[in-house]
Amino acid sequence: MEKQKKGDSKKTFETALSELEEIAEKLESGALGLDDSINEFEKGIKLARLCQEKLDEAERKIEILQKGENGSVSTKKVSVKNDTGEIEDDEELQGSLI
Amino acid sequence: MEINAEVRFYTVTEINRIIKTELEANPGFNNIWIKGEIYNLTYHSSGHIYFTLKDEGGVISAVFFRYANKNLKFRLEEGMSVLAYGGITVFEKRGSYQLNVLSVRPEGAGELQKRIEQLKKKLTDEGLFDPSRKRELPFLPSKIGIATSPTGAAVRDIIKVALRRFPNIEIVIAPAKVQGDDAAQSIVRAINELNRPELGIDLIIAGRGGGSFEDLYAFNEEIVVRAFAESPVPIISAVGHQIDHPLSDDAADIAAPTPSAAAELAIPEKKDLIDEIIYLHNRISKALSNSFSRDKTRLENIVSRKIFRDPYELVNYRDMMLNDAENRIALSMKHIISEKKERLLRVPDISSIEKRILSDLRHRFEMQVQAVHKLSPLAVMGRGYAIITDSENKIIKSVEKISDGDSLNIRLKDGRVSANVTSVIREK
Repeated sequence: MEKQKKGDSKKTFETALSELEEIAEKLESGALGLDDSINEFEKGIKLARLCQEKLDEAERKIEILQKGENGSVSTKKVSVKNDTGEIEDDEELQGSLI
Repeated sequence: MEINAEVRFYTVTEINRIIKTELEANPGFNNIWIKGEIYNLTYHSSGHIYFTLKDEGGVISAVFFRYANKNLKFRLEEGMSVLAYGGITVFEKRGSYQLNVLSVRPEGAGELQKRIEQLKKKLTDEGLFDPSRKRELPFLPSKIGIATSPTGAAVRDIIKVALRRFPNIEIVIAPAKVQGDDAAQSIVRAINELNRPELGIDLIIAGRGGGSFEDLYAFNEEIVVRAFAESPVPIISAVGHQIDHPLSDDAADIAAPTPSAAAELAIPEKKDLIDEIIYLHNRISKALSNSFSRDKTRLENIVSRKIFRDPYELVNYRDMMLNDAENRIALSMKHIISEKKERLLRVPDISSIEKRILSDLRHRFEMQVQAVHKLSPLAVMGRGYAIITDSENKIIKSVEKISDGDSLNIRLKDGRVSANVTSVIREK
């Protein structure tokens, strides 16, 4: 599924949103014929859907970089408290400075 | 030695008074800076601060009165090396002198400040702080990197604000030491790590929470400032409070007043973006339905026009106009002629007034003739119409009486044509 819409998913949220805005302006200007209006409308609906997908694309993930024994750096998932933003399992954080 | 009554002497009070007057009047003892370390420090409940300034050669007492120390931005400490500013005063009751302190500066801070200013000048000259180097932050970052202490207030504030604004965000924290020895190296490493392409980070926030001038100093170190300026990924400097402006602020793409503010600059509010999408979606739906109804009305307007409802109307109307014009021509010609004739016969001597009336009438007549001309068949023929007559010069209005081989006369605007009929097609 990811691969299917690769062409579209390369478009950034910002580009898609501003294209959608342009379409809205074009349609509102009333300068388009009926066929063009319908085409533009369909494009607009697709862009709106793409924008929505972009917003939900990411999965909440909070990671911390850790230095391994051989000096290599890796990421480790941590959980945080929503209300305070505090990292929950932070007992070894002090030692993990890079 | 025996005491002689003649000997001139001072009382203690007198000599102390004289010393006081001499000393305090001497400008060399006023408005001076004295460098030393603080000893026997007492913060008195009255608000005054008492201490002794000391160096390897001696000591001097100092008093820092409440009115003068209320603007002091830091707390004095035993052993602290300072520059104290003020004047020498004499305390007559104890026969001692002391420094009346008006302000205190940590010794070394001045040096640091000087170093920062020199570095700032050097990096400015290099163009490191040029506005043209600043990049725009990504509108919707897909992954944010935070370079700061993992246990400080800054990381908590940033995460809290970030999750509130965009609950499904991705964050990578590069834990860094932000104060003390090696802090600069640690911050630089953290920024560099977050720039590793495989992490896919598209925005970095680097900084720390509030603290003293010394606590924030790492963000003025040259290697840190350069790491901000050279970060391939756009970077926000988020150091201390609003009043703090370390050089990292100048080097970053954007300087945020606080770490929380940095998170707000970096991350858009998801709810606002959803609202925007819904708003645009509604706009295009409405515009499309408007354009449908506009086209429908236009079509209805066209179809309902007279010409489509009753196409013969157009011909009938013209026909009527023509008839009417013919009648008018005939009538007015008759009328004018008979009127003039009558007048001319009735009044043999035409007065000048009547002459004018006559010329008016002539004028009107000419106008009417012109009007008549415009409506005459000749004028109509000018537009491409023709009059067809048969051999007896009767106008032919129908194919009814025409047969093959008949010869016809066609009269056009500027001449006549004789023609033979080769075929007759009836329509209707």
